[in-house]
Amino acid sequence: MRPLLRNVAALAVLTLFAGAVVTWFAELTEDEVARNRLEGETRILRELVALGTGDDAPWRARQLRRSDLTDGDLVLCERDLVVLRVDGSGYGGGFNLGVALDLDGSIKGVRVLEHVETPGFGDILNAPSAWLDSFTTGDVHAVTGATITSRAVMSAVERAVQGVRPEEMCPP
Amino acid sequence: MNRFTEAAVARNPAAVQLLGLCPLLAVSNTVANAVGLAIASTVVLTGSALLVSAVRKLIPEDVRLPCFVLVIATFTTLVNLAMEAYAFDLYQRIALFVQIIVTNCMILARVEQVASKEGLGRTLVDALGTSAGFAAAILILGAAREALTVGFPLAALPPGAFLVAGLLLAGVNVVGARFR
Repeated sequence: MRPLLRNVAALAVLTLFAGAVVTWFAELTEDEVARNRLEGETRILRELVALGTGDDAPWRARQLRRSDLTDGDLVLCERDLVVLRVDGSGYGGGFNLGVALDLDGSIKGVRVLEHVETPGFGDILNAPSAWLDSFTTGDVHAVTGATITSRAVMSAVERAVQGVRPEEMCPP
Repeated sequence: MNRFTEAAVARNPAAVQLLGLCPLLAVSNTVANAVGLAIASTVVLTGSALLVSAVRKLIPEDVRLPCFVLVIATFTTLVNLAMEAYAFDLYQRIALFVQIIVTNCMILARVEQVASKEGLGRTLVDALGTSAGFAAAILILGAAREALTVGFPLAALPPGAFLVAGLLLAGVNVVGARFR
């Protein structure tokens, strides 16, 4: 066989084989991965509700499903607390936030559900984080060394809360 | 000296060849993370080396490097998926460093130098020896950093990784010089 053909054939066969194996394994683990992600996000949202209401009693609200976390912005209404979900784009890629508001519309807590910021620089997004907590005071500053990350989160939170009327979203 | 101890000690990937230092420094902040990365690296290195060794006569000389990288990338992706499905907490802490195992020159070096030339038995021994050497290095560094954190908080942070690794390497060189 001519060398070119041989090289192309070897690479093509190996690529096909690699693609098939990875696809098979990704399908095998798909459900487990989705469940892990949902559990992780639910845990963070619970923390957010506990933060906003000052107690960690079980939710009155329904059990969360995957679709609750992807459809629209409102995640849940719980004991005079509205939790919104908002997407943004930081330095390393996309992120999702949970933002808890009381019925006046003031911020009771911000948590990051998923992010892919640079380890180290992006650590301000991992609770416990004094920077995330500063959102509840209304006095938030961009962080040196993580300017793009922190500004992206700030503008995402701003977008989430702008024009939101918690009372209409969660009628008593 | 047999092939296993030669690969693990005399040619230790981290302490002697200084390969794979990026994950070594980044993931050695705790013992738990170090164990996770050591296992992931072992699976990728052993799997890739065995597969390459099994099909080594079918891989054309000209395109061997792309073929090796493709095999290593496949195993890395599989380990990454398995970790995301079955060890999610660990995945959230060290996923980035599991993904870049694909660029770990320690693995490509073993595949190129041993697996592409030798049979399955020798390849397996060499891969396990190299993995054991890497695991020992990252575990010792992880244990040292975790222990030092009590009186020396910097040890857990990135600068601490360089300081502690540098001191450990200096110690290894002193001991190595005695033996020679």
